[in-house]
Amino acid sequence: MAREQKIKVTVNGRAYEKTVPVRLSLADFLREHLHLTGTHLGCEQGVCGACTISMNGRSARSCLTLAVQTDGADIVTIEGLRAEDGTRHPMQQLFLENFALQCGYCTPGFLITAIELLRDNPNPTEHEVREAISGNLCRCSGYQAIVDAILAAACEELA
Amino acid sequence: MSDTRFVNQRMVGSSVIPDEAIPLVEGDGRFLNDIKLPGMYHVAFLRSQHAHARLNSVDASEARKLPGVIKVLTGKELLGKVDPFRSMPNRFSGGESVQHWLAVDKVRFCGEAICAVVAEDRATAEDAVDLINVDYEPLPVVTDPRLGEQDDSPLVHDACPNNYLIKREYQRGDVDEVFRNAHLVVKRKFRIGRKQALCLEGRGCVAGYRENTFALTLWISHQLPYVVRHYLAKHLRLPEIEVRVIVPHTGGGFGQKASIYPEEFVCAFLALGLRRPVKWVEDRLENMVASTHARDQYIELEIAADRDGRILALSSDIWVDVGAYSTYLWSAGMEPLQTAGLMPGPYMIEAMRYRTRGVATNKTPVGPYRAVGRPSASASLELLIDDMARRLKLDPVQVRLRNLIPIEAMPYRNANNLVHDNVNYVPCLKLSVVKSEYERQRTEQREARPNGKLRGIGVACFAELTGLGTSTAVGPGTLLQPGRDAATLRLETSGVLTIAAALPSQGQRIMTAMRQVASDELGIKLEDITSITNDTATAPYGFGTFASRTAVFGSGAVIQAARELRKRMLALGAHLLQVPVEDLTIANSVIQTVDRSKSITLREMAEKSYFSAKDIPPELNQGFEVTSFYDPKFGSFAAGAHIVVVDVDPKTGHVEIVRYVASEDVGTIINPAVVEGQIIGGIAQGIGEALLEELVYDEAGQPRTVTLADYLIPSALEIPRIELHHANTPSAALGGFKGCGEGSIIGALGAVACAISDALSRRGGDIYEFPATPERVLKGLGVLPSDG
Repeated sequence: MAREQKIKVTVNGRAYEKTVPVRLSLADFLREHLHLTGTHLGCEQGVCGACTISMNGRSARSCLTLAVQTDGADIVTIEGLRAEDGTRHPMQQLFLENFALQCGYCTPGFLITAIELLRDNPNPTEHEVREAISGNLCRCSGYQAIVDAILAAACEELA
Repeated sequence: MSDTRFVNQRMVGSSVIPDEAIPLVEGDGRFLNDIKLPGMYHVAFLRSQHAHARLNSVDASEARKLPGVIKVLTGKELLGKVDPFRSMPNRFSGGESVQHWLAVDKVRFCGEAICAVVAEDRATAEDAVDLINVDYEPLPVVTDPRLGEQDDSPLVHDACPNNYLIKREYQRGDVDEVFRNAHLVVKRKFRIGRKQALCLEGRGCVAGYRENTFALTLWISHQLPYVVRHYLAKHLRLPEIEVRVIVPHTGGGFGQKASIYPEEFVCAFLALGLRRPVKWVEDRLENMVASTHARDQYIELEIAADRDGRILALSSDIWVDVGAYSTYLWSAGMEPLQTAGLMPGPYMIEAMRYRTRGVATNKTPVGPYRAVGRPSASASLELLIDDMARRLKLDPVQVRLRNLIPIEAMPYRNANNLVHDNVNYVPCLKLSVVKSEYERQRTEQREARPNGKLRGIGVACFAELTGLGTSTAVGPGTLLQPGRDAATLRLETSGVLTIAAALPSQGQRIMTAMRQVASDELGIKLEDITSITNDTATAPYGFGTFASRTAVFGSGAVIQAARELRKRMLALGAHLLQVPVEDLTIANSVIQTVDRSKSITLREMAEKSYFSAKDIPPELNQGFEVTSFYDPKFGSFAAGAHIVVVDVDPKTGHVEIVRYVASEDVGTIINPAVVEGQIIGGIAQGIGEALLEELVYDEAGQPRTVTLADYLIPSALEIPRIELHHANTPSAALGGFKGCGEGSIIGALGAVACAISDALSRRGGDIYEFPATPERVLKGLGVLPSDG
């Protein structure tokens, strides 16, 4: 089997054509090859959710995805959430205003998951929010401020 | 201009949105693993597969041949070149432990580093690790501290008889006499499992060679940059001035990043030898076996009480499984000594006795983790107080109110010589009772629940000793006795105030807190204040962030420095405006006369001070840079009372938290939203301790919980909404501040444990081991056979 393979992938709206080792994870591709270090690795086993990115509109674990699997895919990372003029995504702003992060290591994964949740379910209950983020681990916050930030975002979108 | 021009809005007490969080929410955080230097090599460690074994040979010849491998370093190559970590001799220490950075003749726990491989990339380094052949000769293992202290036990260290790394006995008052004459004596056993701080980001470092003027620059994910610098220089035999330590954004600390470990020191050695930068970042498996563990205690305790439920004496026997080495700098005494000494908590206990030991085993060393020693101290005593209440047919709240140290009795020196003052133990409990509708909860408890669930109510009161000054030891017998830290305040020529202090944040927003305090002291607008906390090249000397001390020390040092800086600013302002100093005030970054007739911005004044010094008398122009060391002398007790309602399913053993009410006294609050985040986050970790988290080892000393799928921390579904209330009273420290980083985890373990015990008691059951896994709950109900 070839040790390297060529991929075409769109990341945060920019097209890339790269030759990558077949054993390279998507997380390492983003971080080491594209220098998008906003995506963090917490366990590299798909449990903690820190590395969550959006792939073709669905959240995915970049630690369990190989870079070669993204050939032809459209990827969004935390660096792609801001508007073109630099304005923070409403979810980023509400995480900030609700003190929904402490060390901030898990935050990129939570933002991606939360944005996907509200796209699929614009008016979730608190329990639905907790269910949706239960695949993302945070060791600092006790989750309450994160839940509040997401509920606030839902209110804002409905308004 | 509005009237507020004269009166700065008080920043202390405001939930100021922290600027320091903006890069983190935008994906611009710079964590350790995000650092890349030109020509940087990568390091991976070969780790022991055995809990205890002699190393007959280590053959790295195949690894060295792999293309891309630069170097394989063994423990023998370090001998004589660097100094290993030796346990500190002190009056409570048992035998000595010596920890080589890379194992030399023996390995003493699974995961101990044996070789370091340097390669062009991490994947190659890991490939090379697999090519190293180690001939292990397995040795008998110690895995239980109660067996490890026996005379016939195998030894972890030859120089450590009975495997005691620490042992202490203490008595105050005639404890035997009190027990003999008491109306009631109740006893209890308590076991808390082995834990992990579980920072989402593991440890790691980049060691740079000849960056700027420093021989060695170490970027490290750590809580104590200056301590790392001092000991790095000492152990590498370098002049300290040649070493710079920088802490990047840090993905959680919780004490796990407060110790000194071999791996980062090996990387520093390698960078100096190879004259190239090297990087090592812990993966999760390494973090589970090679970063310090916590707790792991067996406690037997008893109390003597009078007929009204007043505790007359406390006696405890404590065994802590402290792992294979005395954790460097903090020693093996952290858990054994703090659990024993701080067990009386917020209660008036006049006579006490304890026997405590830290027993070496063939497991990962135990080090500091949030609220060292105290969750188990508190939970075991709270459970026993409930036993006493049941025996005396008293309500758990009533009996606690009879024993809490009341404000009228303060200052109160307890049986362990700690002075309790300015702390609201009783008001915290009363507030939680009211807010939780405690009486109604008790009434509802008696009603039948759907599916036969058992309802339990837990009450826990705790004391948290915070912000320890030089007169209060952080732990008797440890080498580090921190107690004073510095802040430097500098008014830049731009009029911006820079605060520098070596108090790095792992999310506590210490930079924002110090800015808020400085803003109030100096009348400088918050947006005109910046802060640096992570670099030994720019910050004045400080111990760092741990033990709920940072807000107390950072704020105290800022207040002291600000008072001097304010004097200097007003003196120069008076000269420049030609008015008496007494007529001046500072608000919104402007110095002006009280009648507003004359003013000068701090920016103009700073520019004049630096660039037009010839026009100013030198005695009025001493420079707008002040460093002040702050020592609060004593610690400040923070407090809390948590009330928890649980439903236990007697068929599955599942515990659901139905209601969680917490009232806390954390002194004067700087930033309420930040403080609430600390408390709720601590409660979540305490719920994890009580219900989920346990590192399991088998009888051969093999770790069975090395992934996040095995070691469960709470998700958003296991944590209920926490109802938080405050009964704050200012401390005696400058600004009235107390620490608030750890208390909540203490209260959570006790309150949840008591709630479960209360639920099980409804069927005549009880529980002695935590976490309260479904299996243990069912054993406690007699549904499953108990271990005996």
